[in-house]
Amino acid sequence: MSAPHLGPAARPASRLAYARRTLSAFGTGLFKAFNANKTSWVGLGIFLTVCLLAILAPWIAPYDPIDQSILFRLKPPSEAHWFGTDYYGRDTLSRILYGAQISLTIGLLAIGLALVVGTTIGMIAGYYGGALDVILMQIMDVLLAFPSLILGLFIVAMLGPSIENLIVAISVTAIPQFARIARAPTIAVKEREFVEAGRALGFSNRRLLAGHILPNILPEVMVMGSLYLATAIRVEASLAFIGLGVSPPTPTWGGMIREGFENILDSFWLAVFPSIAILIVVFSLNLLGDGLRDAIDPRLKGEE
Amino acid sequence: MTTKAILAGLTGLLVATSLSTGAEAAGDTLNIGMGTADAGTLDPHVATTTPDKGLLYWMMSGLVRIEPGKASPEFIEPDIAESWETSEDGLTWVFKMREDVECHGDYGNLDAEDVVYSLKRAANPDTSSFAKDYTPLTSIEATGPYEVTITLAHAIPSLLGLLVPYHGGNIVCQDAVEALGDDFKTNPIGTGPFMFAEYQPQQFVRLVANPEYFRGEPAIKEINYRYIPSDAARDLAFQAGEIDMIYGRQDQTWVERISQVPGTKVAVMVPGEMSVIHLNMTMPPLDDIRVRRAIAHAIDRDTMVAFKGADVTLPSVSVVPEGYLGYTDDVPLYEFSVEKAKELLAEAGHPDGITINAIHTTLPGMLTTMEAIQALLREADINMEIQTVEHATFHSQIREDASQVVHYSAARFPVADVYLTQFFHSDSIVGTPTAVTNFSHCAVADEEIEAARTETDPEAQAALWATAQQKIAEEVCAVPIYQNLQLWAWKDTLDLGYEMTGSLNLSPAVTEKAHFTE
Amino acid sequence: MTAFILKRLGFACVTLFGVLTVVFFIVRVLPGDPALIILGDQASQASIESLRARLGLDQPMIVQYFEFLGGVIVGDWGNSLVSGRPVIDEVLNVLPATIELTLVSLVIGTVLGIPLGIWSALRRNKFTDYVIRITSLLGLSLPAFVSGILLLIAFAIQLRWFPVISSGRGTTFADRASDLALPAINLGLIMAAYITRVARSAMLEVLNQDYVRTAEAKGLAFAVIVWRHCLRNALIPVVTVVGLYLGYLIGNSVLTEIVFNRPGLGKLIVGALNQRDYTMLQGMMVIYTLIVVLVNLVTDLVYGLIDPRIKYQ
Repeated sequence: MSAPHLGPAARPASRLAYARRTLSAFGTGLFKAFNANKTSWVGLGIFLTVCLLAILAPWIAPYDPIDQSILFRLKPPSEAHWFGTDYYGRDTLSRILYGAQISLTIGLLAIGLALVVGTTIGMIAGYYGGALDVILMQIMDVLLAFPSLILGLFIVAMLGPSIENLIVAISVTAIPQFARIARAPTIAVKEREFVEAGRALGFSNRRLLAGHILPNILPEVMVMGSLYLATAIRVEASLAFIGLGVSPPTPTWGGMIREGFENILDSFWLAVFPSIAILIVVFSLNLLGDGLRDAIDPRLKGEE
Repeated sequence: MTTKAILAGLTGLLVATSLSTGAEAAGDTLNIGMGTADAGTLDPHVATTTPDKGLLYWMMSGLVRIEPGKASPEFIEPDIAESWETSEDGLTWVFKMREDVECHGDYGNLDAEDVVYSLKRAANPDTSSFAKDYTPLTSIEATGPYEVTITLAHAIPSLLGLLVPYHGGNIVCQDAVEALGDDFKTNPIGTGPFMFAEYQPQQFVRLVANPEYFRGEPAIKEINYRYIPSDAARDLAFQAGEIDMIYGRQDQTWVERISQVPGTKVAVMVPGEMSVIHLNMTMPPLDDIRVRRAIAHAIDRDTMVAFKGADVTLPSVSVVPEGYLGYTDDVPLYEFSVEKAKELLAEAGHPDGITINAIHTTLPGMLTTMEAIQALLREADINMEIQTVEHATFHSQIREDASQVVHYSAARFPVADVYLTQFFHSDSIVGTPTAVTNFSHCAVADEEIEAARTETDPEAQAALWATAQQKIAEEVCAVPIYQNLQLWAWKDTLDLGYEMTGSLNLSPAVTEKAHFTE
Repeated sequence: MTAFILKRLGFACVTLFGVLTVVFFIVRVLPGDPALIILGDQASQASIESLRARLGLDQPMIVQYFEFLGGVIVGDWGNSLVSGRPVIDEVLNVLPATIELTLVSLVIGTVLGIPLGIWSALRRNKFTDYVIRITSLLGLSLPAFVSGILLLIAFAIQLRWFPVISSGRGTTFADRASDLALPAINLGLIMAAYITRVARSAMLEVLNQDYVRTAEAKGLAFAVIVWRHCLRNALIPVVTVVGLYLGYLIGNSVLTEIVFNRPGLGKLIVGALNQRDYTMLQGMMVIYTLIVVLVNLVTDLVYGLIDPRIKYQ
């Protein structure tokens, strides 16, 4: 590596410049994307509201979500129970609020895990290239060859349906997606002049990857993250619907719909309200991620 | 242009098809909706699940049978055997067979050799799940072309009970079993009113009328036994007229709702499948009898019965279901009292309550019961953590002693011995080579159970069984909850030819007499 | 071109081999003993042991593994542990139902999705665009089982136009079509949502190209430009949507088959999972990955055929 000789005085200033350059790439990228697309704000707003409701569930839920009241089974919506009661006389509204905690926890942790692991794999593959790239991406291809719901089904059936296992299962299905997303821009960014310059400054590979390349590819990864979060929440609900959800009496939206479906003829509200809840969350995330993706997609820039 | 054409075509297709549905009810085809995803096995000597047994009931004959519509052994009547004689000591039985019994298909006339083959097959652990029941049969011989002689090692509660078309008593045809080999388990051949025609995994089994059935050719020509696991989908299909008879959800709300469908007959049949909570006595804290008694006190049977509905459940008192030969209600009772439960826990050194684990199936009918119990226990500071696993995993894990609490729901041949032996005799403890379904490791009544088996005096036998039940209740090996009765509904245009009050095989008898009245 | 195909085939084989290995070992780690499931809850330990031996489950895992690999290569996927019939027969038995459902829903999706996508692109940021985009986003946000249940309530229960249970076995065309209608509409609408979005962004990209601007500058009528230049180019990425969203399509078809109780691969795999049917599970996973790998291969090749600019590398 033939670094241009820089005087000691010049170094701190240029380091500062690199830091500013790389950090602002991340910040301004996302901010610009948000501003360019108003619907993203709407999506973010709805999603944060749901998160807030989930966090506040213990204070705002009118009843204990697992408290059974056999005499008040399958009651239609009323003043006492806004969304009615279920097969065991539990309050549907309270279960939906607490169910949000489960859905969001599983979704966020699973996607967080997949984002970290997948992005790391993708960046390493893209940055180092060669045989390592081929092997890593081949492994990712094997994982990608399984349809995600089928793979999730398999893993949960194998490990048993606990929150931790669901997180692992769902994140495994998303890891190869993140690896793919991270790899391509890494290859593009590593040739850019500021990375070259960083290399010239003698930064280690790890530092270049973490400090310089990551901030540049992060907006794209985060945007995909919000879209896959939507998918993750849907997959979790689907698994619960098939019967591979978190164990009772813990409320989950997919599990509630499954129970509701069994009572669809006499108590339609049991399936309808959790369905709406899933729809709202997944829709808000799609709105958020979709708007951002449009905004940062370079192919669509220059329009208007 | 092309788009429009395709759209127009699709619309036309949808309109055309929407008009064609609904006109499919044929007068001699019976469509039945069963609440499970698939057949397990259709080998009559292996099948144990409710759906499999129910289906085989319509295909199989035994030497004797229980009158259709009844479930109790007191209604035993001739089937393949016309008559039988017993030696004075009750150990030798000679059965005279009908000569006009034909096997399904081209497997020919059924003779004594077939019956001997069939019963020996039922007694062989390699080919039968019920071999244990037949160990007292020391010899099964053809003593004439249509005569079978059975010799017993010792008196048993009910030999005839082992010869009804249920479990090992189903008579199969030797030539068919040998010719079909491994295929036999999906292509069972017997001598009953209906014969196997087709099996599509996870979809249906189709039966057709047996034209040579010895009581006459059935009026119903075809039975489609369709696997529809979702309760709602089954009800919907019934309501829409797509199926004629359905297996119901074990819940009174189901009975109330389905009764409102015009032209529906609902049957609530015995025997019930009894829900029992088995407590593993080898695992702390359940090794302490005070803890087990606390659990018994914490479970309120009245609430449980109210939960499923008084019309479809019978509260259980003893660990043997009510109605079985040898049942007694004279057992120690643990009245519902949260205070007592808490006191007992405190006495046992758990003033803040306990946490116990239960591995449980995701099967909805059983899970709802368990969740209701979980809520009751919580009131007494007993935190039962339910880990749900898929039904298959559940069956294997509870046999590996992996669960402190096992909720099991079953019906057996209605003699106390079967239930006591399989669930409470030490030979049956899970994890041992002779394991059956003793999940509690209960071994307090072995002596009485064994003595009752060979006791020939009915009163003495009943007394032994009563003592066994009392001892088991005293030790709280298990807490019986309730019996879930069998719920079925069918169109009232379907006349089964008998009054349906019960069915040992858990499905309504569909015999040669069943027919549609329109 | 040949070299490209060979290379892609090579990668596909490596992927398949990896998948087979993963599947084999995953399936064997699943808890639940198939012998017990087959024999039922009253079987003695002795009968369970003897059945395990007969099924070959008592052999060392490595022996089972090589027998499995060898079998797959010669087309012998073993027999279902539950029904005793060859796995391949069981799969082929329901495969037509799944293919029928998938193809018809793809047709519905394309017929609805492409015009909507193009319309949306032409009205970019206008009211129509927003309506179409929001509707398609709602379409992707609704889990397949929720939309399926809604369709069931509306058309099977309330209106009684279609059967509740989709047997997939009708003998007449009308029977088959009426069985197929609701599941195909359910899956088709979801596909339409995906296709609309891909068609829209593809169209936007094309509208932005220099040659379109040139054409516009030349004073060609806008409709002519759209028809002559844009449509063809915009359709290219839409072809890949099948490959891209195949996973979603399969997942959604599983849920659809469950809700409508329709026979097919999805119902088969869930059933096999419930019954711990090891050989069936293996066969199902082989089939699924075969489908995914093949479809991806084909879309890659088709992509190249439609768009001569793409070089096989």
